[in-house]
Amino acid sequence: MDSCDKCGNPQIIIKMKRSGQKLCRECFIEATREKVLHDIRKYKLVDKGDKVLLGLSGGKDSVMALEILNNLRERHIIDLVAVTIDEGIAGYRQEGVEIATRNAEILGVEHRVVSFKDCFGFTLDEVMKNDAKNNRSRHACTYCGVFRRWIFNMVAKEEGANKIATGHNLDDETQSILMNYLEGNIQNLTRIGPKSESKNPNFTVKIKPLREIPEKDIGLYVVANDMEVHFAGCPYAGESFRAEIRDFISELSVNHPTIMYSTLRGFDKIKPAIKREFSGEAPTGTCVQCGEPASGDLCRACSFLKLWSDD
Amino acid sequence: MEIKLTIGEKKELKEFLSNLTVKEMLELLDVPSETVVVKKNNRIVIDEELLEDGDELEVIQVIYGG
Repeated sequence: MDSCDKCGNPQIIIKMKRSGQKLCRECFIEATREKVLHDIRKYKLVDKGDKVLLGLSGGKDSVMALEILNNLRERHIIDLVAVTIDEGIAGYRQEGVEIATRNAEILGVEHRVVSFKDCFGFTLDEVMKNDAKNNRSRHACTYCGVFRRWIFNMVAKEEGANKIATGHNLDDETQSILMNYLEGNIQNLTRIGPKSESKNPNFTVKIKPLREIPEKDIGLYVVANDMEVHFAGCPYAGESFRAEIRDFISELSVNHPTIMYSTLRGFDKIKPAIKREFSGEAPTGTCVQCGEPASGDLCRACSFLKLWSDD
Repeated sequence: MEIKLTIGEKKELKEFLSNLTVKEMLELLDVPSETVVVKKNNRIVIDEELLEDGDELEVIQVIYGG
């Protein structure tokens, strides 16, 4: 009969793919939290005295990251502030904002909500409508990523945060690795990892404490922990290249259940070599408009804003 | 056997053949087991869990993509 490999409890909730280990609810929660804290130490993601800005969407990944980073805040290792970005996606984002706010309140973590509308004067929905009108076919994720990054960097500076944490999980990371391999974006590959640093002092260091936790395990963690999270998919996500890659890896994982770990481990081994060869091309300049890092006169966010003002 | 099934907002009574596991039931429902967490009688269970007549099953979609 199946029982927990740690405590013998017959009510197991998971058989771990990577190890075959069987765990009950309590032991799974503890083992997962310990794994994340272990990774934070192993990859030196935080130092004592850091101020960490967490991107808190209200989804399972960021809510789990909030809970674990708050553990470090309560032990006076780091200071923590959370930011929720409201891109302006009708019928989707508002619930996430409310759930994020409640989670931060419960833990007593300082929390800000920053919208595209307030920062740039438009919502993502309006951008996509405008693009359709002007026969442009860029994907929403392209704009969203650029403007979210801009807001994270801006808020980090305002809050005096020296690290930006995100809830990226093993599935996200494996997808990014494969996407960039397949598209030949070797430059992007140099920036994938548990901790992204740049030679440009305008960049705030980014950390991914959940990088080695499978997405399914994160879902199980929040359900097992009775956490309130926003379980819904972004309406713009379904048609992206990332979605195609995600489906491809999911299919592969059926017969090769450890494929995501091996992809990550293999990539981590060759990354130093890729970095040595290709890391010299990162933007080292400053945007003349907003002061953010840029490879030309304007950063990508200001380039888009200029393009739209010319419409 | 009759199962009280909850998927998201949708609740229904559904008839299945006996001796089904959670995984087999999810396959019948065309729900990928990798995207959901399943509670049987309010307790999280693994894919191999056997279902019995009268069980209450909650299928929580935790992976949407994107």
